[in-house]
Amino acid sequence: MKRIFALLLLIWVISSLAACKQETKSKSGEEKWVPEKAIEMVAPAGAGGGWDTTARTVAKVFSEEGIIDEDIGVVNKEGGGGAIAWTYIHNLKGSNHHMFVSSPPLIFVPLNGQTELTYEDFTPLANLIADYAAFAVRADAEWDNLNELFEDMKKDPESISIVGASAPGSMDHMQFVKIAKEAGVDVTKIKYVSNQEGAPLTDLLNGSVDVYSTGVAETVEQVKAGKIKVLGITSPERLEGDVLSTFPTALEQGIDATFVNWRGFFGPPNMDEDAIQYYEEKFKELSDSEAFAKIRNQYGWSEMFMGHEEYKKFLKEQTEELTELMEELGLAQ
Amino acid sequence: MNTVQGLWQGFQVAFSWEGIFFVFIGVTIGTLIGMLPGLGPITAIAIMIPMVYGMDPTIAMVLMAGVYYGAVFGGSTSSILLNAPGVSGTVATSFDGYPMAQQGEAGKALAIAAIASFTGGTVSIILLMLFAPTLAQIAVSFGPVEYFALMFMGLVAISSLSDGSAIKALISGVLGFMAVTIGIDAQTGTPRFTFGNANLLEGIDFLVVALGLFALAEVAFLIKNRNNVGIEKTQNIGSLKLTRQDVKEMTGPLLRHSPLGFILGVLPGAGATIASFISYITEKRFSKKPEEFGKGSIKGLTAPETSNNAATSGAFVPLLSLGIPGSGTTAIMLGALLVLGINPGPLLFQDHPEVFWGVVASMYIGNIFLLILNLPLIPYIAKILKIPRPLLISLIIMFCMIGVYSISFNIFDLYLLLAFGFVGYLFRLFAFPAPPFILAFILGGMMEQSLRQALTISNGNFMILVESPIAIGLFILSILSFAFPFIKNRKIQKA
Repeated sequence: MKRIFALLLLIWVISSLAACKQETKSKSGEEKWVPEKAIEMVAPAGAGGGWDTTARTVAKVFSEEGIIDEDIGVVNKEGGGGAIAWTYIHNLKGSNHHMFVSSPPLIFVPLNGQTELTYEDFTPLANLIADYAAFAVRADAEWDNLNELFEDMKKDPESISIVGASAPGSMDHMQFVKIAKEAGVDVTKIKYVSNQEGAPLTDLLNGSVDVYSTGVAETVEQVKAGKIKVLGITSPERLEGDVLSTFPTALEQGIDATFVNWRGFFGPPNMDEDAIQYYEEKFKELSDSEAFAKIRNQYGWSEMFMGHEEYKKFLKEQTEELTELMEELGLAQ
Repeated sequence: MNTVQGLWQGFQVAFSWEGIFFVFIGVTIGTLIGMLPGLGPITAIAIMIPMVYGMDPTIAMVLMAGVYYGAVFGGSTSSILLNAPGVSGTVATSFDGYPMAQQGEAGKALAIAAIASFTGGTVSIILLMLFAPTLAQIAVSFGPVEYFALMFMGLVAISSLSDGSAIKALISGVLGFMAVTIGIDAQTGTPRFTFGNANLLEGIDFLVVALGLFALAEVAFLIKNRNNVGIEKTQNIGSLKLTRQDVKEMTGPLLRHSPLGFILGVLPGAGATIASFISYITEKRFSKKPEEFGKGSIKGLTAPETSNNAATSGAFVPLLSLGIPGSGTTAIMLGALLVLGINPGPLLFQDHPEVFWGVVASMYIGNIFLLILNLPLIPYIAKILKIPRPLLISLIIMFCMIGVYSISFNIFDLYLLLAFGFVGYLFRLFAFPAPPFILAFILGGMMEQSLRQALTISNGNFMILVESPIAIGLFILSILSFAFPFIKNRKIQKA
């Protein structure tokens, strides 16, 4: 008898607890979803790279400015150009407490055939920043603008070599290809050298290669010191800053193409609508904060906020554009 | 500003209580990280970046630099005592350091390593101070062709890394070459030998190979030979004191490999690991008694230990005078400088001399700290060997696993570690030398990539390889180093 009583009591306790949980859930649906535990932010690369830096600075501002109260832990998951981390997040379907930082490689790596996953397998939360590409040559090089360089490349594409830090079919290569194609260069003949171990800048300075395809920020100090000159950048408009504002865009040189190295955050598939909305708002708040503006400034990043829907549309366009380009190069798998 | 003024300013920063405090913290963290297999300075420094935000840039750099060279300093400990290299720059240290410890001279081996590290570090700081702006030119003088020649020179020596059969050494080297081709090929972006496994796309991490081939294989052997006598000897730490003869043995390598390591460190992409290997093999190549190497030779321990620390300081040349990071760790420090509001580039030297000189001055102090931190601790650290065998073996396995897991938090790497442990065990069983494998693994990857970069640039024309005077010089050195043992033998025969 005693035992049955205890069992009944247990059932009552469990069911009331469950009801209780139900209640809070429906309540939060009406009000607002908030994180219930620590948030895990994954950087799909080793410590110190662009993804890692973005994740760590964002997590820091979120906490220090009190935008998100729950703890945010940054975790590095290196491997496969990001694919290891993507698989990890993809397996956490429906979790509202995981996200990863990404950029154009999320489009390139699937196109290269290194993973089955694409951006469509995740929940785009918000884009935060933009970086642009710069094409630099030695200060004493014969070319003074992109058109002069591309003219020579049209005549004899095999006489000019381009160096970058990423693999062929990834960012440093494709950003150059995109602009060169618009200028009428036969992009299948471009000689691209990938230098991932040492510094590609060294290869430019010692004359091993002719052109360095990189991010705008990497060139500033070298230009200041008079070692290299920037023939063109891929932003839609000129950038702000002492040296930055002197870099001509490809557009103003009559080449109708831009390339943006966007950086934003993605959640696992099937994230709750409420959670998406929550993060979208919080990222907006972060993007508008003074603390983050300071960080953007320090790293030379431009502001580029996009919410969930807008981001999805943007990613679709980017993918279509790049797929076409990679197919032409025979790199798409 | 001249050197004296600059250094004076630097010492003012370094000798402020803040400076001394953070140098101390930096080198202590570095030593500890170095001692634990697998935990490298890269991770430690990356985690520090958000913490140093808002700090005085010079002090922050002093702290991070301390972690960096401290780790290479401390890394020798686990190489010598456990055959489990703490950081990749200290793999070559285990070649002769571990046999010394096995012969009951752990104390002496650690003392030699500490003195070699200190000398290499200090000589290289002096060179850094005197010649940094000039040396910056050397740093950018190496393109794909020159790197290919440098790696070629290293690989020529593979056959000399074996005590017995040169064929076995070559087979081991070829296997190392094959292992390094696994992963996405940098020049085409195509996955090679990954068999559709996403975990292999990034290639195999150097530490997985080193800890498997050396530490785990050693552990397996200890287990196999558990009933053999002679353990008492191994547990013996021996005296720390160096005899006059020991010091004499050390002097030559100290003088040779401080500058050599420094120059190799200055080259972006070469770094402490390659420097230590090249120093080890050149020392062996030109030694009068190459047969002693690998069996506890003082010269064989001193050469790589001097060189890796010298290279670590050398790596600051391209970073601070050109804004070019030469290694993963210096790349992170470059990022840190940005966070601290300093733009690293060719103008850093002019615009922020206090950062350059502060770091240089702090490195003098840091090296002295490292010496007084490490020397008195040797008897205590060496007591690790007194831990009962079964416990010690479990500890080594555990540390290897933690180290490998912390590279990318991927369980797959642990299976790889076990696989390499097994390969290493087979190597030992059939008397194949493991060093050629690791040498080919380290140099081979860069050698292949530089060759192909060079050929892309020249549209496939091999003549590009002999168009550079530096490369020609290195090729001639390779031939000399190859021929040297034969010439020496003939001389001996004639005499």
